[in-house]
Amino acid sequence: MIAKNGASKFFTPSVAISCFVLAAIVLISLAAPIIAPYDPLETDLSSTLEAPSAEHLFGTDQNGRDIFSRILFGGRTTILGALAIVLFSMAIGIPMGLFAGYFGGMADRLMMRITDVAVSFPTLLLAFVFAGIFGRGLRGAILAIGIVYVPMTARLTRSLTLSEKNRGYVEALRAAGCPTARILFLQILPNCVPTLSSQLTLDIGYAIIDLASMSFIGLGVRLPECDWGAMLEESRNLIFTRPLSALAPGIAIAVTVISINILSDGVQRYIDPTKRKLKRRALRHG
Amino acid sequence: MKKKSGLLLYVVKKLLAFAATLFAASLLIFFLERLSNVDPIAVILGGKRANEATIASLREKFGLDLPLWRQYFNWLFGLIKGDFGADFRYQQPVWSLIAPRLGVTLPLITMASLITIAISVPIGVVCAIKQGSAIDGGLSAVCLAAVSCPGFFVSMIAIAVLSRVAPQIRFTGSFSGFSGMMERLLLPALCIALGMIALGARVIRSKMITELDSDYVLFARAGGISERKIVWKKALKSCVIPYSSVMSIQIGSLLVGAVTVEEVFSLQGLGSLLIDSIQGSNYPVTQAITMITVFFFLLLTTATDIIIAAADPRTIKGGGRE
Repeated sequence: MIAKNGASKFFTPSVAISCFVLAAIVLISLAAPIIAPYDPLETDLSSTLEAPSAEHLFGTDQNGRDIFSRILFGGRTTILGALAIVLFSMAIGIPMGLFAGYFGGMADRLMMRITDVAVSFPTLLLAFVFAGIFGRGLRGAILAIGIVYVPMTARLTRSLTLSEKNRGYVEALRAAGCPTARILFLQILPNCVPTLSSQLTLDIGYAIIDLASMSFIGLGVRLPECDWGAMLEESRNLIFTRPLSALAPGIAIAVTVISINILSDGVQRYIDPTKRKLKRRALRHG
Repeated sequence: MKKKSGLLLYVVKKLLAFAATLFAASLLIFFLERLSNVDPIAVILGGKRANEATIASLREKFGLDLPLWRQYFNWLFGLIKGDFGADFRYQQPVWSLIAPRLGVTLPLITMASLITIAISVPIGVVCAIKQGSAIDGGLSAVCLAAVSCPGFFVSMIAIAVLSRVAPQIRFTGSFSGFSGMMERLLLPALCIALGMIALGARVIRSKMITELDSDYVLFARAGGISERKIVWKKALKSCVIPYSSVMSIQIGSLLVGAVTVEEVFSLQGLGSLLIDSIQGSNYPVTQAITMITVFFFLLLTTATDIIIAAADPRTIKGGGRE
């Protein structure tokens, strides 16, 4: 479907750099248990608030924990958490959107009304409320944000399905007696993948920020476990004395999300040269 | 004549949808809160011991002895009358807890919104006019970075930098009077605004580029209308629609969304009251703040849809924003 020479067009310098940076961040975070020089939870009260040195690359925090090791482990939590959020929204939202778009009628109207209500809540507000119900902790926060992302994924899939379902190939398959599930998941869905993938890449970036926000205000991971959001919260009182160590987790968030945004823009440009703006983008709240 | 009735019908439809969504939201929030396995009586007692009689009288006082649907309707009719009920923890009217918080958050987000609108439009337009130039490249890169940074991180950077450059500025603590409030809120408002400025500028830039490439602009240029007039009077009008759609959602989310920035600057805003109420299972407060936020959010987006429809009746057919 996609021309072979497209490969060189996709990797513009900025996309190539962001891919490299992302790959590095993901690999380093996933390998945290191997790479990290210290146990991220091990406190050492004899060496608190140390300045960066060869021993402690980013110094130590108020409990004597190695900040570099905590950023590695925190990154693992943040990145895997964001991936889990997006996968959850896909697992529920994509089938929902496919069925609603394909069958139309009552099921479709019902889904649209339900999602209407869901998008009338600002994203973070609804996530806060769900987190309150599921209880504090990483799992609750991931589930809460994941649920909030479902309506948006479902609506995007639905609109893509609507534009596919009246195409000739779908009609031909139906006439040939192809099972509906097969048409939905093996024929229509692959044609939605390009647009979906651009949006879902973007969503991972949003999920990182939302998850960090939840942890920052205390509805996410529970101490002493850490992710980048909780680390920023903890290091707030270091901001005057050791700004770089305090800001390091935030820099990690920013670099990751910037790379993801560049990658998503690249995917969008590549699959859709007219750079059609995705409606969902406007639905997202800061 | 026909156009006008079309608009009226659209407004009526939008208002009905507004009411219906608000109602559905109230159902959702009320019953979601009941899913939690925390017993309200435990929250009301706050860990104190109590005998059966006290518990029964408390149940009656807070209407917890009634069937769930009666509780819901009592709450809903209270809401319509502007009565949010009493909270579990302090046993005070919920509104008396919320009002002082709104006194902080509303000026803060108003300020952030005004700053955003004042700055994002010119940036977007300049980027579009100078598309591909160094100015565009630089500003676009900054915008990309700004939309990728969470507000609380921006706030922490601002504090880290300013505390070195201008140590006399106070970032936290109390304030008094209107000018004192303005002084204290300016920096947090700027930190909230930064991400929205970047997003708004990106919206204006991309729409403006399409517009400047269109036939009517070509025609206007051929007719000798000055470039300045074309950009700022004609093309900018078309940018208003996508811009206000995006901005109404952004600003509408701020009531609670500003919480992380408020936290960094130690401002006692609405968001932190919400978080406290969620963590303390203080349902009446959680419900009230959620309903106020959804009301505010829907009001802004519905009003924006209606204004857009009035300005450009073509959007009525497509239902405006999906």
